[in-house]
Amino acid sequence: MISVAELRKRDREVSGGDTTDMALFVRTSEESMEGWDRQRIVDALIRETYVDPDTAEAISLEVEEIIRSSNINMITAPLVRELVDAKLIERGLEEVRRQHTRLGMPLYDVDQLIMDPNKENANVPHGPEATNLTLAETIKKEYALLRVFSQEVADAHMRGDIHLHDLGFIDRPYCSGQSLEYIKKFGLNLPNSISMAKPAKHPEVLLAHMVKFAAGLQSHFAGAIGWDAVNLFFAPYLEGMGDAEVKQLAQMLIFEFSQQAVARGGQAIFTDLNLYWEVPKHFRDVPAIGPKGEFTGKTYKEYTKEAQQLVWALFEVYSEGDGAGRPFFFPKPLVHITEDFFMTPGHEKFLHHICEVASEKGNTYFVFDRGETAKISECCRLSFKLEASDLEDAKRPWKMRYTALQNVTLNLPRIGYLSGGNDTKLFENISRFIEIAVKAHLEKKAFVERLLSLGEKGPLALLTMNQDGESYLRMHRATYLIGMVGLNEMVKIHAGQEMHESKEAFKLGLQVIAHMKLLVDKMSKRHGMRFVLEQTPAESTAYRFAKLDLRFHSPQAGHIVMGDIARGEVYYTNSTYLNNAAAINPIERVQHEGLFHPLIEAGSLTHIWLGEARPSPESLANFVTKTFMYTQNDQIAFSPEFTTCNDCARTSRGLRDLCPYCGSEDVDGITRITGYFTKISSWNKGKLGELRDRYRNQGFMKKSSDSAEVEFTLE
Amino acid sequence: MELTKREIVHFPQGMTWEDIKVKGFLETSFVDWAGKVVSVLFLPGCNFRCPYCHNHLLVLNPEQYEDISLAHIVGRLAELKGWVDGVCISGGEPTIHPHLPLLIEEIKALGFLVKLDTNGSQPHVLRSLVNEGLVDFVAMDVKAPLDEISYTRTAGVLVNLERIKESISFLQKGRIEYQFRITVVPALHREEDLLKLALQLRGSSSLTPQNFNPQDPLDENLKGTSPYPDEWIREMEARIAAIVNS
Repeated sequence: MISVAELRKRDREVSGGDTTDMALFVRTSEESMEGWDRQRIVDALIRETYVDPDTAEAISLEVEEIIRSSNINMITAPLVRELVDAKLIERGLEEVRRQHTRLGMPLYDVDQLIMDPNKENANVPHGPEATNLTLAETIKKEYALLRVFSQEVADAHMRGDIHLHDLGFIDRPYCSGQSLEYIKKFGLNLPNSISMAKPAKHPEVLLAHMVKFAAGLQSHFAGAIGWDAVNLFFAPYLEGMGDAEVKQLAQMLIFEFSQQAVARGGQAIFTDLNLYWEVPKHFRDVPAIGPKGEFTGKTYKEYTKEAQQLVWALFEVYSEGDGAGRPFFFPKPLVHITEDFFMTPGHEKFLHHICEVASEKGNTYFVFDRGETAKISECCRLSFKLEASDLEDAKRPWKMRYTALQNVTLNLPRIGYLSGGNDTKLFENISRFIEIAVKAHLEKKAFVERLLSLGEKGPLALLTMNQDGESYLRMHRATYLIGMVGLNEMVKIHAGQEMHESKEAFKLGLQVIAHMKLLVDKMSKRHGMRFVLEQTPAESTAYRFAKLDLRFHSPQAGHIVMGDIARGEVYYTNSTYLNNAAAINPIERVQHEGLFHPLIEAGSLTHIWLGEARPSPESLANFVTKTFMYTQNDQIAFSPEFTTCNDCARTSRGLRDLCPYCGSEDVDGITRITGYFTKISSWNKGKLGELRDRYRNQGFMKKSSDSAEVEFTLE
Repeated sequence: MELTKREIVHFPQGMTWEDIKVKGFLETSFVDWAGKVVSVLFLPGCNFRCPYCHNHLLVLNPEQYEDISLAHIVGRLAELKGWVDGVCISGGEPTIHPHLPLLIEEIKALGFLVKLDTNGSQPHVLRSLVNEGLVDFVAMDVKAPLDEISYTRTAGVLVNLERIKESISFLQKGRIEYQFRITVVPALHREEDLLKLALQLRGSSSLTPQNFNPQDPLDENLKGTSPYPDEWIREMEARIAAIVNS
């Protein structure tokens, strides 16, 4: 008899760590079990679990007996495994069974997946690449829940107390922000790549490097890839270029990023471009890097003209839209509005220009950096506040690369149901949920660190590349996001009113978030990590939580969830937002929602749904200026709605059943789902429910005979 | 939200808030006055019956809708002061209400700019509002080229064209800011109609064509009919501007 250690050693020699021929089919003919080898069961048990050889032997005999005595005429490896698992359960070997688990999907599910589109993420189109992505995600998700996270955390996720985002991307950090300076200085030199490119000499080449690097990053991060001060860092390459040439470059940039649907899983890279009209204070006196990665001898403030030329051209392209006049879904333009913005010559004209785009196409995000804060934004609303150490980095901008390692969202209404209207319990439960979220972060951090420790031989080689004395991914600067969904419903459960319905209810909402902020700060100190609150975009989480609460907390949840239960279109209000359906005017929405924003360090956003209205750009500029001056709001975006016709390829304003031009019924709607534009046909049911409810700033009249709300659009 | 109680000082004896009917109140609008953030008040009733009217519920059966109390409106406006620059009085047709000047005085007393949406059928009301400094901006809907047949067809009632022309020439004097608008419906307006009207309004500040909304017009026959393509409207806007400004 050979020892376990030897067995394991032999196994390694045989399999060599190669996973390509593991998909075995064990077939039997009618009379004999050809190819059947009982020893495989023993080997697998010993290789994968801590079970002793005698038990493994006994189990293999029992399973062989079942198969021999049954009428099965074709067995598959998964079946054998399940039979073995059943035997492990009989013996009470639960931990061994866990270790021996097989990950995979039922035939039926795979069938559906290949045939029907994915609705969890509207940014994934339907196609073979997307199917691959989903298949991989499904297995990695199971892997994460079994292997990476403790049972406590995994169960909390499965129950819907919390949501662990992007479990299917467990082996990657969540999202990231970078600086063009890195590729300007070091060129494109990616591990595993077959060639190395020196720093770009021409703007087109820099753009090519940027797009390729973004694609490389996309395959190493789960979510958004943000870029800081793009127009400024391009500027040294634009010297002497005319407006037409710059416009051409802007067009290339936007189309390159909007048509990257050939990358991972057929998914466009979730790209954010941070843009400035002025040269931000922290870059003003920084030596500029230009062609060939060389310092130009000037500082960035001397490139104001070129930077403005590019940002202007980018918005010209946005205002034209794509070939069919639709708004570009990606890249998202985030314009930073600062005190300096209003002191920079030409800002009125530029503000009008970007408001025109906001009115016509909706693309513009207005990011408000008040006082001394500087931010780099990405993802749906995530932004990193630049701290003192970052501003030191700003002198060497290629250092400025950031990541949020993971996002964990709390189901706030669940906390409400569990607390039964008792204040003490409410705050106690919040603490408990946050502790679970923190635990989840510690577990993911440990896992990613393990992957990173494998260095350039490991799966995250790209993130460990070291060209400037530290690895590309700077773990010590990582943030860990704790998000929330359904504050409004939690308040309703606890206080009987939604946040917009009374001052007391609103105050309770603020108290809850302030309490959460306090807790995450405390946790940050305790663990020496940066936990920060985030407004979870909750594209599918708002739907998932509502469904799970209807299952576990009915009948109460039936009175709480938003949307239409009969249609199955249920949802919770995203993060700290006020009720989507309530007729709250945009002024009070930006004011009141803005009161939460200073507590939410990872950035926040207020949506203003425009419906089919086409506002005056000057009026929007007026409103944006007042929002900057009078509120604490972090970021706003205006979302118009469009109908795009699949027959005549024309785009019209508003959501319609028929194309107003050709009368075709083959139309699709376009508007923002959370922090990005997409086609409504790809939305999940929860978000469809929200879309029906959204208050689009219409006027309305009330029927006097009865109090039933009858609304009419009064344009 | 709490309301600010205000003394009503401008009302003549025996009159109360209840005599002024407001049926709709949109607190914030970005579409009604370029460059301004405004609130909009919708007054009931109209002396026209434009077949494409999208506010016909307000025109035909206003009684079935609740009045919005002026105390509420004034209270809200006071709260929104600083954000809201002006108030747009729309309808229906506001100038058919004898109490309109009183309503506007109340709004003016709060320090808001006032914009009036009108069809121009009451030139005397328009003139007196302007003379008393009660309006800062007038948007007049011109329905069709200025001839009886076109106008009557588009307005859905017999229109005294002289009054329309009187309003137009009064506004053209430019004592206050104004804008002419026309809602364009393929069944009622052809390209030459728009160009003809543009010629008739030559020398005015502007004539803005607006696309009609086929969702729920007064005349059911127009419901769901195709409007002109947006690009066409924009092209016409440029051509009209060239004529009007020449």
